[in-house]
Amino acid sequence: MALPMSETAARPLSAWRGSRRGFHHGDRFQAAMFVGPTCVFLAVLTIWPFLYSVYLSLHAVKLTTLKRAVFIGLDNYVAILSDGLFLRAFFNTGLLAVTSISCEIVIGLIVAKAFVALAHLSWVNGLRSLFLMPMMVTPLIVGMIFAYVFNPVIGIANYMLGSIGIGPVPWFGSSIAAMISILVINVWQWTPFMMLLILAGLMSIRSDLYEAARVDGAKRRHILRYIELPSIRSIVLLGVILRVIDTLRFFDVVYVTTRGGPGESTMVLTLYAYQQNFQYFQVGVGSAAAVIILATSIVITTFAVGLLRRIENE
Amino acid sequence: MRRSAWLGSISLAATMVASLASAQEIDWKKELGDQSGKTVRVITITDPFIDSMKNTKDGFTKLTGANVEIDGYGYDALHEKELLSCSQNDSSYDVMLIDGIWIGEFAEAGCIDSAEKRIADGNPAVIAWDDFTPSAAGQASWGGERLCVPVGIYYELMYYRTDLFEQAGIEVPKTFEELKKASATFTNNEKFPGVYGYAMNNKRGAAAGQQWFEWIYSAGGKPWASNDIGAKEPYADQTPLFNSKESVDLVQFFKDMTAYGPPGVESFAWDERANAFAAGKLAMMNDWSVRAQIANDPKQSQIAGKFKAALMPHKDGGKTVSPVGGWVACINAHGAQKEAAWDYIKWFASPEVHKQYVLAGGPPSRISSLTDAEVQAKYPWTEVLNEAQKDSWVEVRPRHPLAFQLIDTLGADVNKAIIGESTPQAAMDNANAEITKLLKQNGLLQ
Repeated sequence: MALPMSETAARPLSAWRGSRRGFHHGDRFQAAMFVGPTCVFLAVLTIWPFLYSVYLSLHAVKLTTLKRAVFIGLDNYVAILSDGLFLRAFFNTGLLAVTSISCEIVIGLIVAKAFVALAHLSWVNGLRSLFLMPMMVTPLIVGMIFAYVFNPVIGIANYMLGSIGIGPVPWFGSSIAAMISILVINVWQWTPFMMLLILAGLMSIRSDLYEAARVDGAKRRHILRYIELPSIRSIVLLGVILRVIDTLRFFDVVYVTTRGGPGESTMVLTLYAYQQNFQYFQVGVGSAAAVIILATSIVITTFAVGLLRRIENE
Repeated sequence: MRRSAWLGSISLAATMVASLASAQEIDWKKELGDQSGKTVRVITITDPFIDSMKNTKDGFTKLTGANVEIDGYGYDALHEKELLSCSQNDSSYDVMLIDGIWIGEFAEAGCIDSAEKRIADGNPAVIAWDDFTPSAAGQASWGGERLCVPVGIYYELMYYRTDLFEQAGIEVPKTFEELKKASATFTNNEKFPGVYGYAMNNKRGAAAGQQWFEWIYSAGGKPWASNDIGAKEPYADQTPLFNSKESVDLVQFFKDMTAYGPPGVESFAWDERANAFAAGKLAMMNDWSVRAQIANDPKQSQIAGKFKAALMPHKDGGKTVSPVGGWVACINAHGAQKEAAWDYIKWFASPEVHKQYVLAGGPPSRISSLTDAEVQAKYPWTEVLNEAQKDSWVEVRPRHPLAFQLIDTLGADVNKAIIGESTPQAAMDNANAEITKLLKQNGLLQ
């Protein structure tokens, strides 16, 4: 409730000083009130679950019998790091990240350059929007679509191959074919993302740089090597960081199509953690796997962000 | 002729009278409480019988005033959803349908409210426990108690295309060797373009793991030491026998059979197999009886009316032990409407409603429905099902708390052998070692 004017006018100087300190105090209070909810939100939804995961990872425990948890120290970590299936999942995830992101960069660059070259045509905008559609589809739906497309008996992929005289392909039937199929699906979905970043990078290059290069007699490959690639390097690296994090979380497509098989050929880290946590309900082992995935993600991201900063400073 | 027609009429009339009598015996108004204003929520699998469940649910609403909502999930998703809900004391669902092999896990986790006392105290004509096939009754029991009630029991059968067998002029195979020969006849044969001999469940994980359990007894083996057919204490000694000679030979047989399957058969599971058969691409397959409905439905099948069922083949000189599986209805231990849930279960599982549900496409779980003339006429494979249930063994798959993980672990190694990543011997040695470790870690093996 506001004080009457006569009362405020009659206040001595010391009272004003006091109220100034009060004002500062109030400022800090306001700041705390603004930041507090975010801190509470982070603590409740991020930090607490993480700490609880670490706690669970140090216990032999099933989700269905949480009260019977037994402290076993680092045994879950030792068991996971000596489990052939986990190591294979680690290798597969790395392989998928390297091959998939490489393909996405190469195809994304080609497509982005094509869009830049055709930018003067009116229908290209519509085509560009169409090209972005795969990444807007939920990965689980993508997995289901391709499970039908690559169905060896009733799938459209083998039907189309058959119409040009090629015999049916066991898309998910052998280790190599399954890994390639997963790679194709991943590249199909995420190349538009990389293309979009590269396109933004290419469109930010000043046109006078191209003109100067042409005046100097530069050919296409020279322009690509000395103008375009250096210009898009940092944005591509940013894309790589995001895609590596994405690949570490890659789950839906494998879950729907192969369940990590045949054999262990398409087992990935998140599927391993999912199986332990939600199929076997071995939350001790599953939490240890999740902590390892998080640690790996932090190490890779820290390294990549450092690299990005160095490139930007050059 | 006239005499036989007369006898037939009398028999039919007798059956109808018996049915009516049995129907009249139960006064549903007395048996069921007034559940007006309530909604009984049921969680189940999205197997073909879910539509049959939905077709019958209005009868319960008419009798009690309660609505029934039925939600379906895929196999793995259902297991995950039910156990996660249980761990959170979730009361969203009143009735849970669980696979009979999950019963140990659910019982240990305290997810199920035992039906034993309710069955014992209730009207025997309503549940008619003795009318369930012995293996169906066994699926719903654990630790000597009737925890749940069987409502969707399957038996694994072999299905074959009658038109193709007629054209080829060969007999329906009864042994593994005969199966291989018959499969070879239909594969890559100009007379049968686009047709392959046989498809099995080879996909990594539960699919391949369950397949092993489905065949092992017919292959002359057994999964663990004390699990002999008819054993009173099948879990007394769980020493795994996954690398026995019979088991290794069986996995070699699975591998051999991929030569007669469509490309990619190494990644086939239940649905791929059933869809390929319904699409007319397979001469034979084995599958749970509930999936015969897919092949029998002219809307989704090209072979409706062109197939028959037989018992699964067995090893030369052996005997078929038909695998049993399927779904039992349980009261959610954390549910808030247990009386309404029990009313729904006992009504739905009663012989009278069960027959309606079976005629609507549900899997018969009672002897009365398996032997019912109307059911047999509508679904011709029911007669074979009745044969299968006589020689089935309830513990053909493990039903203890580690069943899901054990089957999945085994399935990974069986699949490795099938795709040639390991030899059958090496794969099964590994499976035996892994499962031994798992059982020891969880105190199921000394």
